[in-house]
Amino acid sequence: MNDIQNPAASAAIQGRSPWRAAWDSLRLMMQDSFAVAGVAILILFVVTALAAPLLAPFDPFKAMMTETGRLARLRPPSGEYLLGTTAFGNDVLSQFLHGFRVALLVGLVAAVAVGFISTVFGVLAGYFGGWIDDVLMRITDVALSIPTLPFSIVAVALLGPSIENIILVITILFWRNGARIIRSAVLTERERVYVKWARAAGASHFHIIMRHILPNIVRVIFLWVTMSVAFAILTEASLSFLGLGDPTVISWGQMLNTAFSSGNLRTAWWWVVPPSLALVMLVSALYLIGRAYEEQTNPRLRRR
Amino acid sequence: MRAYILRRLAQSVLVVWAVTSIMFFMFRVMPADPTAMLLERGLTEEARQALLQEWGLTGTLWDQYVAYLGNILTGDFGSSFLYRKPVWEVLTPLIINTLWIAVPGLLLGAALGAVIGTAVGWAERGGKLERSGIFLATVIRGVPNFVIGIALLTIFSSTLSWFPGFGMGDPGATTGFARYMTLDFLHHLALPLIAVIIYFMPENLLLMRSGVVENRTEDYIELIRAKGVPQRRVAWHAARNSMLPLITWLFPALAETIAGIVVIEIVFSWPGVGRELVLAVTRQDYPVAQAAFFLLAVMIVLANLAADLVYGKLDPRVVYK
Repeated sequence: MNDIQNPAASAAIQGRSPWRAAWDSLRLMMQDSFAVAGVAILILFVVTALAAPLLAPFDPFKAMMTETGRLARLRPPSGEYLLGTTAFGNDVLSQFLHGFRVALLVGLVAAVAVGFISTVFGVLAGYFGGWIDDVLMRITDVALSIPTLPFSIVAVALLGPSIENIILVITILFWRNGARIIRSAVLTERERVYVKWARAAGASHFHIIMRHILPNIVRVIFLWVTMSVAFAILTEASLSFLGLGDPTVISWGQMLNTAFSSGNLRTAWWWVVPPSLALVMLVSALYLIGRAYEEQTNPRLRRR
Repeated sequence: MRAYILRRLAQSVLVVWAVTSIMFFMFRVMPADPTAMLLERGLTEEARQALLQEWGLTGTLWDQYVAYLGNILTGDFGSSFLYRKPVWEVLTPLIINTLWIAVPGLLLGAALGAVIGTAVGWAERGGKLERSGIFLATVIRGVPNFVIGIALLTIFSSTLSWFPGFGMGDPGATTGFARYMTLDFLHHLALPLIAVIIYFMPENLLLMRSGVVENRTEDYIELIRAKGVPQRRVAWHAARNSMLPLITWLFPALAETIAGIVVIEIVFSWPGVGRELVLAVTRQDYPVAQAAFFLLAVMIVLANLAADLVYGKLDPRVVYK
């Protein structure tokens, strides 16, 4: 590659840094006002999750007692318990704050795991084609026929309800769509003229993938990662709501499950509203960010 | 065309086989005591051995796998531990109950989403209607289905007492097929149905909106407009061409609905397949859980197959290979 003298040709073969492309895509996303609102909510939630142990006034599992030594059940919000108490005398605010940690932990791990697996499989299958592609497509054909929530219900019930197993099941479920989407994005990039040029000039496969393919599909990856974080949080919340959550941690889905199964939905609004609202805000924020990436990946949707 | 159908059919059979193998892995290999899924605890050793024999739970894993495939492909899912009758007798009426909220819910959600989506897509770019439409649809899409259910239940059932929030009919109501024809049933159907509609509408709306936005700048729209056709009719032309992706999406969505309304069925205590799956899993009634899961998976395979075939009929550009 060193004997290329023409600077333009050399630049074309050099390609772009994938990091630079990711940064550009991020900046473009931040020009969308809905996405900015989503990012703001996300930051607020991350900060709350990190500070949760400091902010929470009580141990979320501890049953509160009154002065007379009885359980402080279903207390409405007051100066003592800012968001009231549950039917089992737990402080709602403390449980609610700890719920931030579970939701964001599930989201973060799913983003990394699903994002990484989808990208590796999608790029390998799309770029090299051949048997890798065949195997991937057959696997995803089957995987797409698995009903997601029923699969998670059965798998978590059989493996045992723990946060690790829930994350494992979510990763098994959601890499498949991502890999397929990224594969088709790679397929179009692979046929571009500059990829052929670079190849003809003797660039290695690794170089082409890193500097020609990845920079151009980074938007697709971001879109998919954002969506899988939302799906992961929703799946964990649904499983917990169905009573299959990790009993050793407190999540919003679990709070709603306890309120629902103890028959206090109607009266104990202070117990039901905070986790519901937080879930809606978090997932909507992610969808708002995802929508901005969607417009990036489909230029026909952009305003002219 | 015929070759294509045959190939897709063969592919579907292959997928069902693969799903069955995954189930074997899940229910037989994954649990610590694989026999627990078919044999109740507390049986005498003799009865246990006899049942093990009958269920093909003896021999190598490979023998077990073959026996398992045989049982499932002949539709023999065994008997429920809890109800003490064959699994199919338990599940058949529940399938109909699930379809009662899934099919109308999805169709109404799709229709409503299509109409609003066209309006939003046709609205002025960057205008108030477009922005609020997109924002609301995205936020509603982010509402977990159990939160929709809880909200409906609290507002319309507990507080306003407009609708019942539990089950499919009042105690002592008519049974059998006639029950679906009563006002009482429709009264009970309302809330879960609304929950499914709210759950599915936003995605339809956004899909339809993207389609209309893509189509509105096409030359043919310009031509229709130039002919002096009223705006509303021009929008309809763009909408019609945006419905194709919606229809392909509809079938897999039906399958996902059936899976996703598990949660809605639980919230409203609607006796459907999904609710039974959750109950069976928590009661460790594995034969029922397994059959319910299989049923949901087969529905998805069939829906995908139907989507592919219908799409070709609707879009003449699709070439079957």
